Amino acid sequence: MADDSRLRELMREYQSGRFEAVDEIYASIAPALRRYLLSQARDGAKADDLVQETFLQMHRARHTYDPSYPLMPWAMAIARHVWLMDRRTMSRRPWAPDDVTAMELPVKGEAASYAERDQVRNALGKVAPAKRDAVIQHHVLGFSFKEIAQRAGIAETAAKLRSSRGMAQLRALLKGGQEK
Amino acid sequence: MSAPGELRSRLAADYQPVRALRSPWTRALAIVPLAIVALIGAQLAFNVRSDAPSLGWLGVWGFSIAQSAIGIIVVGAALRESIPGRHWSSAAIALWVAIPIAAIVVITLVSWEASQVILRGAWWVVAGVCFAGSAATAMPVVAFAGILAARAYPTRPAIAGLLFGLGAGLMADAGWRIFCHFSEPAHVLSAHLAAVILSTIVGALAAVSLSGLRGEEHALHEPVRPRRDHGD
Repeated sequence: MADDSRLRELMREYQSGRFEAVDEIYASIAPALRRYLLSQARDGAKADDLVQETFLQMHRARHTYDPSYPLMPWAMAIARHVWLMDRRTMSRRPWAPDDVTAMELPVKGEAASYAERDQVRNALGKVAPAKRDAVIQHHVLGFSFKEIAQRAGIAETAAKLRSSRGMAQLRALLKGGQEK
Repeated sequence: MSAPGELRSRLAADYQPVRALRSPWTRALAIVPLAIVALIGAQLAFNVRSDAPSLGWLGVWGFSIAQSAIGIIVVGAALRESIPGRHWSSAAIALWVAIPIAAIVVITLVSWEASQVILRGAWWVVAGVCFAGSAATAMPVVAFAGILAARAYPTRPAIAGLLFGLGAGLMADAGWRIFCHFSEPAHVLSAHLAAVILSTIVGALAAVSLSGLRGEEHALHEPVRPRRDHGD
């Protein structure tokens, strides 16, 4: 990790218009942020997501950084906030199973033409969690996109996007399975 | 190691140079004009308290200016709280809450000592007027302080809101006491203090609501993850 004065300088450059500074900032502090987020989330993939989200939030809040103070406490406070926000968002979500292999699926229509239920369940298990949740809530549990959006604390368009991307991924997985 | 491609492109999409916020204490000075309006508003609209001669300039204006200055400092503390990594400790927050309330109590007792105008009959009407007037005066200050805080990035919005609400309440009450000639502790510590408490609660609720709106923005971000994850 770059020393503190170098990090302050990089962040000052990032604030004042040198976008490329983000690469060095990322290289310097992402591992420490990931370690912290991993200690909270206890899930490597989740920690990776949260590191990315932390950088998005750092970008949004870059005007609040005062280069006369160290960068790491500022970045860590944002990482902690991102973790807490994510935990709150997750706690508001309705039930959506992590293990979909034992789920009773009312498979109909185009899904039925692809494969048996087991194949759908297995494929669904490989879909990214956020997208899988949206697919299950809409196509299996019958929630409207508005309801899904409200429960997840996201915009309706984001819920639709997650569901359609999830379905596209599911179709691709099922298609791949059939070709084998 | 550089930032992952998708993250980098998202950052680049709305990247532009920004000017770092000035120090919270400097930014708190932006509220001074509103503090002055709150300070002189009640006495301009109505009058200076009738017992002003017995209190003297210090007892009327001096104490109110001091109370208003404490309010501005508390707003500064709220603005510092709104910056990531510069949170106040629990003990400091307790002090930031205790000192302004202690200031109101001390100013009330000293004023009461100097001028004992007793409130007789219809005390609830006077209490209602003071509560409503003081609370109404505080609301624009709460709104402005809320905007100042929201321009930063409060990660503990309830605490930031509580502090700027308290500061706003203090400023509003500082003006209201120049008009209200009842320094009777029972009156001030119920009606006036209740308005300060209401302002504090409104500040906290407003900050949490604003943060909720920002939380939706946060949740709008689809996860940016490397392709190796989840088979994406």
